[in-house]
Amino acid sequence: MIQYLFLIGCILLLIGAIAALLIRPVKQALFFVVVINVLALVVNLIFALMRLIALPAVTDLFPVFPDNASLFRADGLALFFLLVITAVAVPTIISAYTYLQHYLHKEASVRSFLTSFSLLLLSTQVVVFVNHSILFLVFWELMTLTAYLGMLLEKEKEEVQKGSFVYFATMHMATFILYIFFFLLHDHFGSWLFSDYHLSLTTGTIFYLVCGFGFLGFGIKAGFMPMHFWLPWAHPIAPAPLSAFLSGVIIKTGIYGIFRVIEFCSPLPVWMGIAILVLSVFSAIFGVWYALAQHDIKKLLAYHSIENIGIIGIGIGLGVLGVTYSVQSLVWLGFGGALFHIFNHAIFKTLLFLGSGVICNNCHTRDIEKMGGIVHHASWFVALFLIGSIAISGIPPLNGFMSEFLIYKGFFNASASLGNYFPLLMLLLAVGLAFVGGLALVCFTKINSIMFLGTERSKLQSFIVSRSEYTALGILASLCILFGIYPQSLLGIISSVITFNHAGIILQPYKMFTHWEFLTVIFACVLLTIVCMILWKKFNTQQRISQAWGCGYTPLTPRMQYTASSYADEINSISSHMLHLEKDVTAPKTLFPQQSHFISHSDDFSEKKFIAPIYRYIINKIDTFELLSRTDIRFYITFMLIMAIIYGGIAIVWPH
Amino acid sequence: MENVLSILFCLTLLYLVITSRLKTYVSILRAQGVLLSAIMVFPFLHHLSVHILIIPLMSLVIKAIVIPRFINKIIIDLDVHRIVEPSIQPFNFLLLIVASMSTIFVAAHVLSGYTPIEPIPFASAFSAIVTGIFLIIFRKKLIIHVIGFLILENGIFLFGTSVAAEMPTIVELGSMLDVFVVVFLMGIAINKISSTFAKQDVTVLGRLKD
Repeated sequence: MIQYLFLIGCILLLIGAIAALLIRPVKQALFFVVVINVLALVVNLIFALMRLIALPAVTDLFPVFPDNASLFRADGLALFFLLVITAVAVPTIISAYTYLQHYLHKEASVRSFLTSFSLLLLSTQVVVFVNHSILFLVFWELMTLTAYLGMLLEKEKEEVQKGSFVYFATMHMATFILYIFFFLLHDHFGSWLFSDYHLSLTTGTIFYLVCGFGFLGFGIKAGFMPMHFWLPWAHPIAPAPLSAFLSGVIIKTGIYGIFRVIEFCSPLPVWMGIAILVLSVFSAIFGVWYALAQHDIKKLLAYHSIENIGIIGIGIGLGVLGVTYSVQSLVWLGFGGALFHIFNHAIFKTLLFLGSGVICNNCHTRDIEKMGGIVHHASWFVALFLIGSIAISGIPPLNGFMSEFLIYKGFFNASASLGNYFPLLMLLLAVGLAFVGGLALVCFTKINSIMFLGTERSKLQSFIVSRSEYTALGILASLCILFGIYPQSLLGIISSVITFNHAGIILQPYKMFTHWEFLTVIFACVLLTIVCMILWKKFNTQQRISQAWGCGYTPLTPRMQYTASSYADEINSISSHMLHLEKDVTAPKTLFPQQSHFISHSDDFSEKKFIAPIYRYIINKIDTFELLSRTDIRFYITFMLIMAIIYGGIAIVWPH
Repeated sequence: MENVLSILFCLTLLYLVITSRLKTYVSILRAQGVLLSAIMVFPFLHHLSVHILIIPLMSLVIKAIVIPRFINKIIIDLDVHRIVEPSIQPFNFLLLIVASMSTIFVAAHVLSGYTPIEPIPFASAFSAIVTGIFLIIFRKKLIIHVIGFLILENGIFLFGTSVAAEMPTIVELGSMLDVFVVVFLMGIAINKISSTFAKQDVTVLGRLKD
């Protein structure tokens, strides 16, 4: 019975995709699609959980096609990613119900969004199970395209057209690289099946080529630092449920690919682990630093995705080092930390993106500098958003801390067990990660204080958070708390996933690293204390009533409040040259000030220095072929004939 | 016998190049349809069966009756009967086609030494493909483009019979359906275009781009 569950879920999603186009009126279609998708996702979630608990006993994924059993493979890693996808997608689709209510007047757009979102959910779930290269590329491309179509909900806006095009072009490039990657593998092994690929250093150049193309192709999707430039374009313009899904899940499929590339290679060389570590720490630091300079809430969150991908990458790098030197505890801490952070990041980033969607729909802007005082309208909503912010900053009682804790332990473990120059490297990396945590904290205090506290910068009529949005955010926030104070529930599953996928290494149970029960008790006490303090403050103290950020001045206007730019200015000025932060200030000088203004702006380093020049160069070169561009079809047919003649000529003279 | 029919097929191609009446184009299409079905039936004359006859019969019906009638209808609807175009002299066009045909025949003769093909049907098929492409390149009228495409398709059809004695039925059926749909769609498109633009030239279609 269990083995049919996944099939049922997939069929339900397909029904949802078709129903979105057929049911009239559109309001009913929306309701139906949301209900059926939630049903399908819950079915798949149950499937993933039951299979994960039953590991390593795994049977076929699609039992109805016994002949093609090797096309799909339900191993531990795939099942874990299915768990992540479904756990995130359920709240996302629930909140999409309210989000799309705002667009009901554009019927065709809503229908196409629903269809492409259902297909996106389907293809993302199937892609992690595929064992056949070509089939993988098909579902990978389907995932990319449906996400692109989903982005076009507000296609009449120019920024949407531009951002979605950047996404589309970049993903096209990544898929192209993956084609080369898989063709190289096929050329070398004569098989399309993932399970047949076993690279080792003795295979020569092919090893470096495959690793290079694999990390590049999947790295673009995941958003590692030099290849991250599409994220700040695509996330802000996507509808909130989709940007939540993009950040929570789709960039994780890139990580999934990197896991697969690592799986193909054995033994793993040392340089691979170190390269991943360095690249990841670079992404983490600069991702969060860029985030600090943003005013656009969704762009800021997009840069935080880059930071968290960096943290996940650090975990993977540690795991690779562990495999290289066969240190079992390091393998567990590295890969375990990475997998746990994948899950945690998916949860709190989805929470934050869905929350930002609510804010944007109510304030009609994404600019942090124009918000303020939201806490007076929707205090519960602010509390939920705050939980997400605490989790992403890695502060103890919540889940973000737990996964970073594993990675920190990995650093200490590596320096203790590897020796040589590793203690110094691990020290540097640990400092880097700590720095990232600090900057993330600054960034989230910034957005929470500027957006929620103070007084309204532009008049807010009402701030409506619907029941479905509260449900979605509530589910995610409670998961944040649950895995913060009781991580054992997931760590057991992660242990069996790692044991399953590294069959050669017998791993000790996760319990040896620390006394998790004590952590649970301590964190539960901390949480309880915080709750008690909040209650005590609410009932026992007198509320001080004055304007926020008043600082002793009396007649304040909202424009005189502290701004996000000024909050982050001190830290940004350290790196302003590197990060291309530009400030244009005309300060008031005389006693009776004339005109004054302040504009701050940040450009992405890799986009400005690498991508844009290459793009301009290509465009200039293409312009020289303008001559060949005709409106008449006959010219093109002539060109085709000429090409056919050339190819025919080559075929005749080609040496046999 | 197949070779004779193939040569006849080539002659129709030459006639196609110098004529300027659309009515003649259509009758040539009809003749080619009949020739093609005959070429397909001939190898099996001694052991005919219903199974073998299905494809030739279908091609006879579609290529010799349905499509020519449809094109005739378009010609009458659009009221175009002659093509007077300055793009290329009929004589020069004929020279070009004869030159490429002779090249193809020589090439086919050389090729037949290496691969098991029958040189004459093979060369005629190839000539039809090239003629179809040249028709599309040198004529502006959209309706001639449709006819050029059909000639090309006929060439591919003959190509199949010359390379393999028996093409898979499903492939032939598929290509037949393909042609039918394309002609149908192009007919509709030309009708639509004629209501928007005064002349049915491909040159005006450039204005449709954004």
